[in-house]
Amino acid sequence: MNTQSTRLDDLMLNDRGFVFDPNTGESYQLSATGLQCLRALQRGATTAAVLAELLETREVDALTARADLDAFLWELNQLGWL
Amino acid sequence: MSKQPYIVPAIRRVSQSSANPQRLGRTPVIDVIDGVPVAGLLARFGGPLFVFSEAGLRAKIRDAKRAFAAVYPDVTFAWSYKTNYLDAVCRVFHQEGSMAEVVSGFEYEKARANGVPGARIIFNGPYKTTAELRRAVDEGAMIQVDNRDEVVALARLAAEMDRDLKVGMRVHVDTGTHAVWSKFGFSVEGGEALRMIRWMTENTRLRVCGLHCHVGTFMLDAGAYATAARAVTELALEAEEAGCPPVSYLNLGGGFASRARLHGQYLPPEQATPSFDDYARELSGTIKDCWPQGRTLPKLYLETGRALVDEAGYLLASVVAVKQRTVKDAGAALAAYGKGGAGGALAAYGKGGSVVAAVGGRRNAVVLDAGIQILYTTAWYQPSIYPAAEPRTGVQPTTVYGCLCMNIDVIREEAALPDLRPGDAVVIHPVGAYNITQSMQFISYRPAVVMVGTDGHAHLIRRRETLEDVRGPEVVPGFLSEINGTAGEARVDRQ
Repeated sequence: MNTQSTRLDDLMLNDRGFVFDPNTGESYQLSATGLQCLRALQRGATTAAVLAELLETREVDALTARADLDAFLWELNQLGWL
Repeated sequence: MSKQPYIVPAIRRVSQSSANPQRLGRTPVIDVIDGVPVAGLLARFGGPLFVFSEAGLRAKIRDAKRAFAAVYPDVTFAWSYKTNYLDAVCRVFHQEGSMAEVVSGFEYEKARANGVPGARIIFNGPYKTTAELRRAVDEGAMIQVDNRDEVVALARLAAEMDRDLKVGMRVHVDTGTHAVWSKFGFSVEGGEALRMIRWMTENTRLRVCGLHCHVGTFMLDAGAYATAARAVTELALEAEEAGCPPVSYLNLGGGFASRARLHGQYLPPEQATPSFDDYARELSGTIKDCWPQGRTLPKLYLETGRALVDEAGYLLASVVAVKQRTVKDAGAALAAYGKGGAGGALAAYGKGGSVVAAVGGRRNAVVLDAGIQILYTTAWYQPSIYPAAEPRTGVQPTTVYGCLCMNIDVIREEAALPDLRPGDAVVIHPVGAYNITQSMQFISYRPAVVMVGTDGHAHLIRRRETLEDVRGPEVVPGFLSEINGTAGEARVDRQ
């Protein structure tokens, strides 16, 4: 069994969107929707599932949500979290 | 189940500087102007939209008059047309008793068209044509002579009319706080002004009955006016001692600061900007100290513009695009907020380096439907930018771009704003001084202007520019009448 956690697993989040990355010592602030997405990703949700959750819970059209989510995932990739 | 409002999924590195969003506090919002909702103004008149508050204008001039009347017996304000010559704005000040202060033949005509009699106009500026001077003389305007060539032109007019002409003389003074505005008038310190007054008295029919000194603009040091007032008062007395006619008025110009904020200004306007009482105390106290006891004090004219109109003016604009901007040195950029960010230092931490470069080096940015072509003063001042509705998120340092296809079109390098979406309105303030008169038609149409009246209604005081306004003065030479076999709609010169 692989017990090594991923960078995404290591992140420490609180309900106000504050994130601490123990691998770098850096802290981040997420928007409420960013927090929702990151928590979904930590639960193992796929991109499609995260998008579906956004559309289900937020007042947003599919194209806008898709464009914003892709940009957000790209930023998380830049941080090495995905 | 009802859905929650949408906010862009976003992540920002938490900075340890004072720009830390956790420390920026509650976001101020401007959603109404004098009781009129911003959203309603934009819906009715379109955007971007300049808005002036009639109540704000009247409150300022009344406060200025109160402050000076409390310490000096004879003070008259003249509205500085160049600061904002929208007729409606000028007329508010004229209704409040202000004369007109103009600096060109165009502004003179505008004041006359507003119903201001010549005798209620102060005619300043370094360039006045002979025809303009003649009209001003005929109509009894107060001419403030700026240079020797103008002295000669006026002297010729006086000789031609075979009468004495009363004039004021523009002088410049070194107050030690700003670069000396030696472009205008005659030097007091070097003795040039006294020599010219004597020369005019002895060689022409011009009689210098007033002295005019405008020390600078946005004077945050009220003490500069004490220096200027002392210099012109002493000059007036020296000229009289030298046999020239007595000086009956002093005109200390304008330059009082508004509650705008200069680039690089450390203290906020609430602390840095002197009050009208501060300026009044410096000016009146000095003149009274220098003037001979028992003699009637000279009349005092003031031409303050910016301090009266700036805060009454707002620009409503809307977000058209949201971006993430790469900032190479976040630390240096954040320094504008105070202590500065730690991005540069953190880059030294191994893995962290790439992290900082990725997210720490990125900043929110928005593009507005208004640009610096209508916000000329952003070259010197950093206006506040407020959301026009309760924010959905906390604030972040945000770069605010204008709508022009020009890289220099940055309204604010860093404004503390929440996450904004296309269509969100913002209110830019204060923008009442100079932005209307110095705005240019460039790339897009100049916006409409409304005044929110004390009657609680918004009144259109200038409509939005149209294509015809821009093309109207143009003429296309005949040889360019056809392109691609069609005549188009241009005005063709058939000669």
